[in-house]
Amino acid sequence: MGNLLDPRTKLIMAIFYTILVVASKKLSWLLPEWGALIAFNLVVGKGRDYISWLRFSLPMALFFGGVTWWSAGLESGLRAALTLIILISVFFVFFQTTAPEDLGNSLVKIGLPYPVAFVFSTSLQFVPVIGRKAKTVIDAQRSRGIPLEPGWSALRHYPAFLGPLLIQALQLAEELAAAMEARGFGRPGRTFYKDYHLGKADWSAIVLSLLLLIACLVRRCIWN
Amino acid sequence: MVCYAYRKNGADRILHDINLKIRPDEYLLVCGASGSGKSTLCRTFNGLIPHFFGGSLQGDIRIDGIPTTEQSVGGLITRLGMVFQNPEAQLFNRSVEQEIAFGLESIGLERGEIKKRIAEAAAAAGIEGLLLQNPHELSGGQQQLAAIAAVLALRPQTIILDEPYANLDPVNVRRVRTALKKIHQNGIGIIVSEHRLALTVADAERMVVLHQGRIVLDGPPETILRQNIESYGLELPLAVTVGRQLGLATLPLNIDALIPLLPEKTAADFAPALSPAFEQSALAAVLKIDRISFNIDGKSVLRDISFTVNAGECLALVGANGAGKTTLLKHLNGLIRPARGCVTVMNRSTQRLKVSQLARYVGVAFQNPNSQFFKLTVWDEIVVGAQALKCYDESWIRELVQLFGLEPLLMRAPYRLSEGEKKRVAFAAALAARPVILALDEPTAGQDLFFRRSLGKLLVQLQQRGQAVLLITQDLSFAEQYARRWLLLADGEIVADGSPGEVMRNQAAMERAHLEPTDRFRLFGLQRDPNGNRRSERF
Repeated sequence: MGNLLDPRTKLIMAIFYTILVVASKKLSWLLPEWGALIAFNLVVGKGRDYISWLRFSLPMALFFGGVTWWSAGLESGLRAALTLIILISVFFVFFQTTAPEDLGNSLVKIGLPYPVAFVFSTSLQFVPVIGRKAKTVIDAQRSRGIPLEPGWSALRHYPAFLGPLLIQALQLAEELAAAMEARGFGRPGRTFYKDYHLGKADWSAIVLSLLLLIACLVRRCIWN
Repeated sequence: MVCYAYRKNGADRILHDINLKIRPDEYLLVCGASGSGKSTLCRTFNGLIPHFFGGSLQGDIRIDGIPTTEQSVGGLITRLGMVFQNPEAQLFNRSVEQEIAFGLESIGLERGEIKKRIAEAAAAAGIEGLLLQNPHELSGGQQQLAAIAAVLALRPQTIILDEPYANLDPVNVRRVRTALKKIHQNGIGIIVSEHRLALTVADAERMVVLHQGRIVLDGPPETILRQNIESYGLELPLAVTVGRQLGLATLPLNIDALIPLLPEKTAADFAPALSPAFEQSALAAVLKIDRISFNIDGKSVLRDISFTVNAGECLALVGANGAGKTTLLKHLNGLIRPARGCVTVMNRSTQRLKVSQLARYVGVAFQNPNSQFFKLTVWDEIVVGAQALKCYDESWIRELVQLFGLEPLLMRAPYRLSEGEKKRVAFAAALAARPVILALDEPTAGQDLFFRRSLGKLLVQLQQRGQAVLLITQDLSFAEQYARRWLLLADGEIVADGSPGEVMRNQAAMERAHLEPTDRFRLFGLQRDPNGNRRSERF
């Protein structure tokens, strides 16, 4: 699935979907939009990952929805929460089907400076590494009696968490920079192993998504 | 004559008066204790010093006659490739294939050529099957091989490897060594920086010994190993020690070379002393693990584990990377709760105790002390846990400081210490709350002879005070010297339990655990008969 379309095509499609979701003013429009994403995740066998992703983002959506409910009523609150969940889901689907590296490199082809693309894709590659380090720090501190369990007391001890993590992240950054240097990062005349070009399938997908987006928006205008 | 300091003003010099000429196709071993300047020296070879690290460099370093100061690091990558110590930081692409392609893209090769070179480098490193995998999901050995392939693809004349075996288990060490030998046979020079001579010395053609930033010895291993290199913090391989004592004309560099040369009756006389045996039967059990099991994402990580640790006992939990050692360790202090079974510390089940409550009974020092330092002085770092647990006892802390030899360091910043000193601080911190059991996770990883000896002494002293110690390690020669009992862990199960000799004699279990018997065991198969005499048993 990941290699059928160029990363840029997938990015454009994700942007179209985002426009559609943001322009949806009724719950009855948002629900099928979410349903389509759920169905997609089930078809490509990412159901389980999607659920854990949802579980992670649900508190944020509830908070956002709750604030909106408090200020603008129940329906607005539900709509706000749902919109956020769908947008997060669009991100999920996009990054499940597109490697950040591919996205970055394909954008370099249309003018994005290579260092920007590299920093973008590499930082995503290192998110799990930092996550593992954070876990190790928490384990090490808890093991010697510093309560870093979730709760108010953890706040009091945040230097015990942030200090070692920050220093290790800086060390990692220095080692990474040295390793990049030793593999020729920044040398002029870089080529790209992977070829990115927009083929027939890409153009068809872009045009089709655009037509669908326009059709949906026009139809909603007529209904309104 | 090269001198170097990381500071611009030249203070705290790391390298002094270095004079070295290296052939491009040489297999060179750069060795020395921690802090002797090995990594710094390697960084000067490919221009990272001074281009990347700055500092103050005096003298002249030339590659093919051109000073490195006149070439960029990127400009040198087709002559000198560098593999760094930390695989996590040097593998920054999403797939091994892309990792290898990165350098080739940097030098501006065409797509067809890149493809050809990826295949060539992957074959040379033996990782053809891993090209599409994410480097961060590989085993330590596979990661090293991927990093080697990534520099090999650039067809350098020489590859520099900074402690390539630091985090590898024996099976992976063998894989990487074999790959390096093959690469060298194809005419590519290898420079390895390493302090564990037993792993490298048999492969190298030349050895350079660094001590406090100076080259103190330089020559073929056969000659260098006849010198007194232990005073430089280097441990002689056992085969060499025995070979020297026997006065052999040709020094055997590994056990396989020694065994045929060894007179039968002398074998046991050369066995280095083990730590004093300890009577455990009279002492009370402080920790009981009763049939615990644990799963992650439906995959069984620990199965049916049971054992007991007694006061004053030093028990080693040995196993290769990924055997489940650290997961088991986290069960002891409640960081992980068992899915089945029960952990009892001082007759109390850990199931309902908080980690912070358990920290009073079980002190844990994890492998990397940098994961815990956040105070400005060593003293604060040691006491912070005990203070949080409200069991701070200054006289005990003073005793610990003395025991671990930390007096001169108390007012220094923990981050500024050497790696060995950091470890000692972490061990003292783990003991600050007077736990009944001390668990040390890979305490000897990356440490030199000086540290290993002082840790060994400490372990003996701790046992004499009745402290139970659990060593979690894949360093079998250390575990053999200081732990009377081993638990061998493989695929989440205890596959052997007994004295080091009994465990290593169980060939099926050792194979399953992907571990190899120590040199000492292979040579002496040391076992005591009922009268307490040593009996030699060759393997």
